Amino acid sequence: MSIPRTFVTLGFFFVLFIVQESVVSLIHFPIAGFSLYLAIAIALIALEDNNGAIVMGFLGGIVLDLSPTSNAPFGQWALILTIVGYIVAANKESIADFTLSPLTFVLFVAFGVSVALLAYLAFGTLLGEGNGSFRRDIVIVCANAVWTIIFTPIFLPALRHFRRASLTSRER
Amino acid sequence: MARGSNNRSRLLLIILLVTALFFITLDLRGVSLTKGSRSVTQSTLAPVQRTVSDIFSPVGRFFSNVKNFGKTKAELDQVEIANAQLKSALTLDQNAKGELAQLKGVLDLAGRGSYKVVAARVIGRGSAASFSQTITLDKGSSSGIRADMSVISANGLVGLVKTVTSSTSIVQLISDPNFKVGVRIARSQSIGILQGQGTNTYSLQLLDPAGTILVGDSLLTNGSDNNHPFVPGVPVGQVTWVDHTTSTLTQSGDVKSYANLNDLGVVSVILSAPSAAPSTPLVPTPQPTVTVYITAPPAPVATGIAVPGAPSASPAAKLLPTPTPTRTK
Repeated sequence: MSIPRTFVTLGFFFVLFIVQESVVSLIHFPIAGFSLYLAIAIALIALEDNNGAIVMGFLGGIVLDLSPTSNAPFGQWALILTIVGYIVAANKESIADFTLSPLTFVLFVAFGVSVALLAYLAFGTLLGEGNGSFRRDIVIVCANAVWTIIFTPIFLPALRHFRRASLTSRER
Repeated sequence: MARGSNNRSRLLLIILLVTALFFITLDLRGVSLTKGSRSVTQSTLAPVQRTVSDIFSPVGRFFSNVKNFGKTKAELDQVEIANAQLKSALTLDQNAKGELAQLKGVLDLAGRGSYKVVAARVIGRGSAASFSQTITLDKGSSSGIRADMSVISANGLVGLVKTVTSSTSIVQLISDPNFKVGVRIARSQSIGILQGQGTNTYSLQLLDPAGTILVGDSLLTNGSDNNHPFVPGVPVGQVTWVDHTTSTLTQSGDVKSYANLNDLGVVSVILSAPSAAPSTPLVPTPQPTVTVYITAPPAPVATGIAVPGAPSASPAAKLLPTPTPTRTK
């Protein structure tokens, strides 16, 4: 992943973060909330190669750690998304060819979002954070997965265009 | 070649993981750099959130309105029935006003009007990426708001100011799993700890082993030293379920908040409470014993000859004052 592309991605994540915090979080979704940020971050990670996925996971996590409403220590999301980025990059080719099966890709993104949220919860529990009842947390994770499945097909084409535009000539 | 690429990936992974762990350690050790970055983000986000809140508030409430449509209609029917009953009860019993005044005094609800407050608009809610329950207000330290101030809505306690910038403040909601507040039961003055659970229901744990909780009990904040962070007498919620198991020393139960946290538009931050307000209002107030004697109304006495179409009771009987229940203390 080139340095210019790293900065472009960082900027993109920051804009996405503002949209998440200012717009998406104001919407009262039925069941539980939806994290557009996580859905797009996981989708971008899934489109990258190994190194790109790890760096993108780290950058996405750092920006998410800036959230002023978060109780978690700074760096927790960076840690989680870096690990998720590595897991996604290491396993995506063994699951399916995403370019041929968009549905598999959407399900894979939803699964990635769920894994990220569960890992965040588990790590938070290790650090002694109060995350509420287990049942409610599971409902939030499941709701996020459902909303991700619903919304990912909508933003996926635009995301592919953005990624293609951000690639340097050498990376193409 | 592939092995070299894998090694590079692993090295990159390890470097970034160590960096993330380094940040976590810094944060947990209280280094201000990480906290400062969040404060800067909050200041940056505030104008955007304020603008977006103006535009998107109707959109944001659309889903909740649709979701609550059936529930709202059922509630409206119930409220109409209750309203009719209350109207008739109010007409029949003039003493209700006096009792209501006494009840208000006991519950210290009148003290709420004496608080010095600043009203603020909710411009953001906790991100779905975190499991914390927060709201963002459009007023900050420039309006006199500081951390650890109580936040109330029209119906009761909403939460506590967590962080403040010059123009915004983040409020930890009462439903947040990390939120705890000392409360007292209005009926018995027993004190306990109320904790958020991440849902609309909160858990109550009494501190007094001899105290009892009843379904329907009203809870008020117990207050803190110098009224910070909590001022006394703010309505918190109502007990909806009581745990009757004997495995614990003190009783516990579930509480439903008076304030509707899902539909907060404008809230008030309590800047200061009147100095006369008791910080620990635990002194039990003597309650008058009420004895009610009910005298049966006299049966109508038929006089004269019954005429078809004429009223069955004589007009004179209607003009007589109906006997009212005699109340003695």
